[in-house]
Parts: sequence; C-alpha cells; structure tokens
Amino acid sequence: MIEVEHLSKRFAGKNRKAAPVLAVADVSFTARNGRITALLGPNGAGKTTTLRIVTTLMQADGGTARVGGHDVAAAPAAVRAQLGVLSDARGLYARLTARENIAYFARLRGVPTADFERRLAELAALLDMADLLDRPTHGFSTGERMKVALARALIHDPSHLVLDEPTNGLDVMSTRALRRLLLALRAQDKCIVFSTHIMQEVEAVCDEIVIVARGRSIASGSAAALCAQAGTASLEDAFVTLALGHAETA
Amino acid sequence: MRAAWTVFRKELTDAVRDRRSWMVALVISMLSGPLLFTLMSSFIAGIEERAAAREVWLHEPERAPTLVNFLQRAGATVRTAPADYAEQLRAGRLHNAVLVPAADFEPLLAAGQSITVEVVFDDSHERAQPLVRASLDLLRAFNREAGVQRLLARGVSPQLLAAVEVEAQNLAPSQARGAQLLFIVPWVALLVAVFGALSVAIDVSSGERERGSLEPLLMNPVPVGELVLGKWGVVMVYSTVIVLLTMAGFLVSMRFISSETLAALMQLQWREVGIFCLVLLPFAGLMAAVNMLAATFGRSHKEAQTYVSYIAMAVQFAAIVPVFAPQRDAFWHLFAPSIGQLSVLMKTLRGEPLAAADLAVPALVCLAGMAACLLVQAALLRRESIVFARG
Repeated sequence: MIEVEHLSKRFAGKNRKAAPVLAVADVSFTARNGRITALLGPNGAGKTTTLRIVTTLMQADGGTARVGGHDVAAAPAAVRAQLGVLSDARGLYARLTARENIAYFARLRGVPTADFERRLAELAALLDMADLLDRPTHGFSTGERMKVALARALIHDPSHLVLDEPTNGLDVMSTRALRRLLLALRAQDKCIVFSTHIMQEVEAVCDEIVIVARGRSIASGSAAALCAQAGTASLEDAFVTLALGHAETA
Repeated sequence: MRAAWTVFRKELTDAVRDRRSWMVALVISMLSGPLLFTLMSSFIAGIEERAAAREVWLHEPERAPTLVNFLQRAGATVRTAPADYAEQLRAGRLHNAVLVPAADFEPLLAAGQSITVEVVFDDSHERAQPLVRASLDLLRAFNREAGVQRLLARGVSPQLLAAVEVEAQNLAPSQARGAQLLFIVPWVALLVAVFGALSVAIDVSSGERERGSLEPLLMNPVPVGELVLGKWGVVMVYSTVIVLLTMAGFLVSMRFISSETLAALMQLQWREVGIFCLVLLPFAGLMAAVNMLAATFGRSHKEAQTYVSYIAMAVQFAAIVPVFAPQRDAFWHLFAPSIGQLSVLMKTLRGEPLAAADLAVPALVCLAGMAACLLVQAALLRRESIVFARG
C-alpha cells in the first residue's frame, strides 16, 4: 500500500529575485494493493513531483509518504527495494542490448540468475518484446524503449509499481501491451500508481482515480463516484468540473 | 562492494563497445612516444649537423679576405650570404648569423685601427642559438688572433692581457644537459594521464544525465558511493592502459632513436619508465575522479567538455610552473598535483637520485584528492538539482 498525506514541495526560483514555485501544495491519497490508482491532472499539476517524492528521489517540504509501511524519508533504501519505477526519464544504455540493460538493474538489485531468466521470459511474453532482447537499444522506437524500461523496472518483481505518464508517445499496440501488463500485475495483488492526463487510459484500467490540480488532490474515488460527485455523465466532464471548480476557488 | 563491481563490469562493457573513443585514445597513446622522439631527434640531429658543418655566412666576403682566411684555417666553411639575408633570417629560412664586415675592413686592419663587423641574427628561432654562438666564438677567436699579432708587433707580451685563465667545468650530470628539451617528455606523459580517459569519464557521469538513465539508476537500493566507485574504476582502467601504452611507446622509441646525442642525454630505460608509471598512475587516478566530478555538473556531453577543459587547462599551466620557479625542486612542489609529478619526472630524466618522499608525497596527495572528489560526487548525486536537470 502507498499512503500519501498532505505532501508539499516548493522549488527555489531560477534566480535570487524570482519567487519560489509551489509545485505540490497539499496532496493526499491512498493506493491499495491489488488496485490500480491513477493520479489524473493537467500538465504542471504536481503529479510528477508527488511521484518523485514517493520514489525517494526528492524530499518533501511537508507531509509524509509511506510505501509498504516504510516512510520514504526515514527508510529510503527499504522503500526502493519494494518499488518498481518507470519515471519520465527512461534512458537506456544504447551500446548494450535490451537484455543487458535489464540484467544490469537485476544485478544491482541482487536478483539471482535463475530468477532473472524466468522473470525476463515472463515479462518478454507479457510485453511482446522477445525479439527485442538481443538487439542493442540504439535506435529503438519510443514504444520499444518503454517496454525495455518497464521490464527493467519490474525485473525484481516489486510489490509496488509507480509509473509516470507511461503511455506518453506510445502507439496503440504498445499502449495495449502496457494495459495488459498492468491488469496482469493487479491480478498478482500489486499496488500500482500511475500518473496521466489521458482520460481513456484511466477509464480503461483504473480502479481508483485521484484528481490533482494546482498541486492539490481535490477529489478521489472510482470513475462512477467522481461522475456522481460532479453531477456529470462522463469522466472527462467530471474532471473538468472538479479541476476547474477547484482552480477557480483556489 | 557487489554493486560497485556490477557497475564496473557494465561500464567496462559499455566503454569497450565505444570503439571510436578507445581507438582514438589507443592510437594517440601509442603514437605520442614515437612521434615526439622522432621530432626531438630530428631537431637535435639538425643542430648537430649544422654545428658539425661549421658554416659561417659572410655578407660580401671579398671585403675581408683576412677574416675569410682565418675562418678557413679554423676549419669553417665560408658561405656568401644572400642579399636579402635580413629577410631570410626573420623568416627562419636562414638560421646562422651573418657577419657583415665594414667596407674598409682590410685598410683599417692593416692600419691597426678598430674595425666594425656587424653580426646579424635572429635567435627567436630555437635552432639558431647554437649556430649563432659558434659564429660569435669564431669571430672572437679572430679578434684575439689579430690583437695578439698587434701586441707582438709592438713588442708587448700578449700574456699581459690574460690576467685570468678561464677554465670552464660543467658539473651537470651528462643526462641533465638535455633536460631543458626533455621537459616535453614528462609534460606529454602528464597530458596523456589527463586526457587519456576523458571521454569515458564524461560518458559515465554527464552521459547518465544526458540520456536520462541517472534517475532509474539511482532508484536501485544501492549506496551511491558504490555507483561512483564502480564508474571511477573503469575510468582508471582506461587511464592505466593508456599510460602504460604511452610508456611502452617511449621505450620502443628510445631503442630506435636516430640522434646519438639525444640517446646519450636522455636515460629513459626500464627503471625510469617504472618510476614514470609509479608517479603517473596515482595522478591518473586523481584526474579520473576530478574529471568525473567536473563532468557531473554537465547536463550534456558538450557542457561537460567545457567544464573538464578548464581542468585540463589548469593542469597544463600548473605543470610548467617548475620550469619558471625561482627554486628548482622546492619541497612544496611535491604537494601540488601536476607540479609535483612534473618535478619528480624531470628529476628522473636528469638522472638525479629520488628520495622516498619524492614518490610518496605526490601519491598520497593524489589519493587524498581522489577520495575527496569521489565523496563529493556521491553527495552531488543525491542533489535534486543534479538528478533532475537534464540536457
């Protein structure tokens, strides 16, 4: 389970005279095991910063975040050990093959060789990437790169998965492969959190939606619950009503 | 240390596959010795050849047949200077000095009066200096001979003029006589240690930021210090190979060197090369860490190159300090990276004995600096401004 309570994060301005930027003002949500939770919000809403704090790469100015019961600030190593992360930086080592890229991270995480081979075969089948494994990643398409980065993030079989805008730049086939994978992982009782601004994606796979706007979590629940709360028929209308309503009052 | 070993293996594989980089580094390191020694030996051979020829250039030699006669008796070949000798001297086409006797040289000489001989030269060209010196020496000898004859004609003993008999004794060991020129050998060796693995140092640090692989890498539950150590290990392996190849190039070149003078002046054999390695390898370790640290600030390869170029420049400037320092081999030199190394290497080439401190102090300074750089880099990789700012 991932629990986030009243997170806040401020960035210094680009120069001394510039005012600091409040990237995250007050974000709270709970992502349970066996469920897919989406952070839904427009660009610049604070989703990526929230996920960076959850994944221990950034320190919050206020609030707390726990992953599997471990506080991200107090026990970052324990948190990282449980997490699989697909951040917006998905850089691969171009001179290594896809298999070598994934094996590098598996070794860093201490995955035994036999487990690595079994796990890689499973992921390659789920992501439909068996033919990519022994090619150097130089020149891979965005979809191919995403598949390798995702396999790299999942090779140690983490109990918690955090994905930042995972479908950015993906074609239909790659998006479908990703959805298949997320549903398979949910069935394995994993806790999955991903950020997005694409409604169809949320409706297709998510159990729980957290709407984030201007650095605040302003509503959460299933798609049906959010529609009921906003009094709209579609999730898109509910999102606009809730996010804009908040924006106007903020 | 498991993580450091994993990073080392991965970075080594990655670097070895970057064929263009290592081919360039290997070719440069293997060629620098032969190229340098060939240039130096041809330079010295040229000087030897000209000095051996004992040529003296005279403008309108027919003005001074007595001087020509003296020069020929002294074993010199008298050459007639071209009309545009000043032009040719400035352009470096003519190296030797040109003697210009006064138009009334012979009548004045016969009358026992003072004569003017202009000596025209341009010693801004390195090759010119020994040749000019030889011409001036011959002219002084003529002056002495003419003066002695005039004194004898007046019945005065020429010994009255020689109150002091000058006997010069050069105490410099035989190797030291070429040491001024040999400054370039340790300097090139230092540069190889600085530049040899530069591209690898940049790739393992700012390369991670540029390609967006730093963030996923840091998500692994391993100490950042181990990541840095593994990366440094690969840069060090590269530097070591390049330094050793350069030294091998030096040794091979010494065997085939054409100038006997250079071969006699420079004692660069197995022992000296061993000392070079002992001095250069800790320095290469420090430079690997310094370059990695500087490159970490770069968000792209290009930006990192700008930062490391400042360091390379500082090292090059520091290295020439001992050449101009008022006191040769001051003790503080040993504590300054690059200055210390150059001091010790120069000492080695001059054939002077080395104290234990000559090897130990620079090595310890390098190890301390290296550890500090690696710790700072590990701290930097925990900074949000470094992790999330990409090129």
